[in-house]
Amino acid sequence: MHHIFAFDANSPLLFTQFYFWAFFALVYALFALIVESPLRSKSKVKSRLHLRNVYLLFVSWFFYYKTSGLFLLILAFVTLSDWIIAGRIHKYQTANPKSQIPKALLALSVIIDLGLLAYFKYAYFFTNMVNDLFGTGFRVFDIFAYIGNGFSQAGRFSVDTIVLPVGISFYIFQVISYTADVYRRRIEPVKNILDFGFYVSFFPQLVAGPIVRAEEFIPQLYKPFRLSRRLFGIAVFWILNGLAKKIIMSDYLAVNLIDRVFDNPLLFSGFENLFALFAYSLQVYADFSGYTDIAIGVAMLMGFYLPQNFDSPYKSQNPQEFWRRWHMSLGRWLKTYLYIPLGGNRSIGFGTYFWWTVIAFVSAALTGWWWQILVPFAVFMAVVVIVNRQMVHGKSSHSKLLYSNLNSFITQVLGGLWHGASWNFIIWGGINGLGMIVNKIWRETGWHVRFAAMTVLTFGLMALDYAYNLPVWRLFAVWAAIVWTGTAIRYIYWLVTADKIINQKLAIINRKLSTAWAVLQTFTFITFTRLFFRSSSNLDPASANEVAWTTAKNMVNQIGGAWNNAIIPDFLWEYRWVVAMFVAGMVIHWVPADWKRRYRLAFAAMPLWLMVIAVCAAIIVIYQFVTADMQPFIYFQF
Amino acid sequence: MTGLAALCMVLPGRVTFGDKELRWPTLAEVFSTSPNLSQGEEINTVESPAMQAPSLEERAGGEVVPSAMQTPVSIPKVPVDSVTDSRVFLAAFYASLAESSERVVRVLHYGDSQIEEDRMTQQLREALQARYGGSGVGLMPLAQTIPSRTVKQQLHMNGRMIQPAQGPRRYIVYGSKRDQRSDGLYGVMGQVAVMNDSMVTGSESLMAVCTPQDNRNRYTDWRIFADSTIHYSTAGDTVYLSGRGAVYGLSQQSDTGVIVDNIPMRGCLGIVFTKIDSAQLASFYRQENVRLIIMQFGGNAIPSNRNPGTIQAIVKGLRDQVQYLKTCAPEADILFIGPSDMLTQENGEWITYPMVPYMDRLLQKMAADEQIAYFSLYRWMGGSGSMARWQETGLAGSDGVHFTRSGARKAGKAVAEWIIEGIKN
Repeated sequence: MHHIFAFDANSPLLFTQFYFWAFFALVYALFALIVESPLRSKSKVKSRLHLRNVYLLFVSWFFYYKTSGLFLLILAFVTLSDWIIAGRIHKYQTANPKSQIPKALLALSVIIDLGLLAYFKYAYFFTNMVNDLFGTGFRVFDIFAYIGNGFSQAGRFSVDTIVLPVGISFYIFQVISYTADVYRRRIEPVKNILDFGFYVSFFPQLVAGPIVRAEEFIPQLYKPFRLSRRLFGIAVFWILNGLAKKIIMSDYLAVNLIDRVFDNPLLFSGFENLFALFAYSLQVYADFSGYTDIAIGVAMLMGFYLPQNFDSPYKSQNPQEFWRRWHMSLGRWLKTYLYIPLGGNRSIGFGTYFWWTVIAFVSAALTGWWWQILVPFAVFMAVVVIVNRQMVHGKSSHSKLLYSNLNSFITQVLGGLWHGASWNFIIWGGINGLGMIVNKIWRETGWHVRFAAMTVLTFGLMALDYAYNLPVWRLFAVWAAIVWTGTAIRYIYWLVTADKIINQKLAIINRKLSTAWAVLQTFTFITFTRLFFRSSSNLDPASANEVAWTTAKNMVNQIGGAWNNAIIPDFLWEYRWVVAMFVAGMVIHWVPADWKRRYRLAFAAMPLWLMVIAVCAAIIVIYQFVTADMQPFIYFQF
Repeated sequence: MTGLAALCMVLPGRVTFGDKELRWPTLAEVFSTSPNLSQGEEINTVESPAMQAPSLEERAGGEVVPSAMQTPVSIPKVPVDSVTDSRVFLAAFYASLAESSERVVRVLHYGDSQIEEDRMTQQLREALQARYGGSGVGLMPLAQTIPSRTVKQQLHMNGRMIQPAQGPRRYIVYGSKRDQRSDGLYGVMGQVAVMNDSMVTGSESLMAVCTPQDNRNRYTDWRIFADSTIHYSTAGDTVYLSGRGAVYGLSQQSDTGVIVDNIPMRGCLGIVFTKIDSAQLASFYRQENVRLIIMQFGGNAIPSNRNPGTIQAIVKGLRDQVQYLKTCAPEADILFIGPSDMLTQENGEWITYPMVPYMDRLLQKMAADEQIAYFSLYRWMGGSGSMARWQETGLAGSDGVHFTRSGARKAGKAVAEWIIEGIKN
């Protein structure tokens, strides 16, 4: 009994475990009793809704307790604090619309929420940064453990380590969105704290999103349960789809290839490293989106709609589109609560300058290139200030481009930091920001300039490769040469047709090829940013940074330096299952959305007996991957 | 859900069709809450010396690998009489250390990927050099395809920097067929770089800049092991080579003290020494005063072999290698380091490969029979399942096989301390 109810750090409730499904089956049985019980009078509808919400709140808290133990108190605390503050904000706003108090309260709530997040997630990172910069020897101190021990350093909890509560990055963002939405008068504050608690801690999305915004979810709290036969089918489909993604495309690929290569890139040849990097791109997607697919399915079975979180992101034709399709709930959150408040594409203000300065200083501190970064930065900022004065705010397309680039870069870098507290995530965010800016400018540029720029870049990189013969230049030079080839073909096509359609068929072929080319380029770019995406959370930040950096460096060195065509066939044969799963994953990913919708609906429309057979068959297949024998180690490069 | 539970009850754990099998969870698995490491012996976290006498249970030997799903593999008993401390077989080496003030005493550390990058050897080198003098990282190949933690190498050919793969043709005794040569002339590192016509155009046509990464490793001299047709000169960190012929290795070393060489052989089972020309080995071992040879192998046999018979054959092969090295290096003592704990997934759970304890035991017996020293990494780590602990604390990679750098440092330090402790006793 104790085993079932007590928190055990080694066995959290994960969607991929049988235990979770047994838990869910029980929860759902009781849930069904509540929502399907016959009503004696209409007035009972409300109290039944209330009972449902309270029931799910306690189930969610149990779920969180099983996953995170006493961190449940943190979850309860932010729930309480934001509920109270949002209520006050609404009260002052109704009493006096011009009052400044609501603004101060909003700031207070954001400080509390982000303070907790910063404490739990970034304490090591900031301590480490301060120690690096000033040569101090500070160490983190777990104040909550100290209090938990009855104000003592010794006791049940260790004060020397700060453990990250599961899901804190997600639920903190949810409570901020709630208070901000109340402040912006997009929603009314929730009257009942238990209802609000339910919104914050609804268990399917509690630990890994999607980040549900208050205005999307809170109205659902007051709607009675309804689940059509078709929606039931769709929910089951999402769950199976998520499990297959998580177990086949993510875990299987990770265990049998990706982890090994990322652990020791030097054990593997350039091709194996490159393959593992691309496979990692698929793995990250399958892992994360698989998890949210299951969350969406489970919530749907209980009659709640969670927002879509991924829209086949590797179909994107440019980095900007990628960010609209990848982790959409985070993207929308950052857009609403960071990018637009910074000025969006309409203006720049104090926030923009402030964050750019912070980023410049941090990059200088990180690299040690103080004047090399700060001098150009000062010049750049001076230019921005002058240009900004000349521009008519928000009117011309040029000012829009400038503003949106400045603000979106900040959003990307801070979004990077949200993913993990180490430099590699900041670098990752920065590369994505740069990629978006370069791409936006590229799309505004004419073909003559594009071709000329690409030619100069390619030859420049080739010259660097020749002069220094370093793997990193080799890699960039080959990449640039590939992009150059595509650019040259499209440039010639443009010169010949001069944008006039000579031949309908040719135009269609050109369009299709261009799309495929753009998709591949974007996928490749995003894949290379993943060099900096892998976290090593069980290490302290100093060694996490070192490991992340060394891994990226070694992988680049292998890809650019230890390439050996002769071993590619051997690799493809020996790792044929891994390769097949990767190819299958990409092919399924690139299936048109319309087809996917159709087979989803076809599944949902199956007669129940057929669906049961299909579910069993799917689970048997998935289970084969859980239990599959491991791919033995095979070395090709000596 | 209920349907699935019912199915679990009805279906057996697995169904076999020919050589393929279909697996299905049992009811016990469905209701089990712990996902990891459900089996194996008690994890012993005490970092006790690995060579302590085996416990009673262990001495009983015969183990049956527990597995809910699989037909139990019965692993034969391995009686080992290891109450004596195997460090007695290092006595000659310990005695030779007294000579270190006058001449070089050399220790060669051969091993598989676990010792790449000089991750483990470095600890032993530092410990021995601190006590018995000596400096320099010792041997390195001419074209260092695998970077080392302790020495960074850059190759230049005819004035242009090149990647190791663009350098001289390499032959590798532990490599694939196309990397091997038939005459057995691989040199002491088991790999050789052959300089050909394109490299004899200038007098200093090949230049290797080898920079030690740690000032404590600052060398005082170079030793170049190459055919007599190769001309070379050195200046500081740099070696200049020209001519046509084979280069077996470069060594940064002092002329007295202890030199410890790191010789990693990726993917190697260790059954390769007999393929190396014995005269070549013998002359190196004699001239360089090699007094200890460490062989750290066995891990590569584990993932692809589940049959005790194959493991026995492999250990027999390793025994042949030990005997061969004994004849090539009659002056040297030998220390065998067995495989670490290694994990695999079975039915979704991470468990120790069943053959790890068996192989460890067989190797220990082989070592006792051959009168060489034995260090069990596996038991030093804490036995079955200890690799999972190492992963949790960042000491081992997620592959369940390789140490991380900090893990390798820890293991290397343990080996070094164990050897040095033997001197005191």
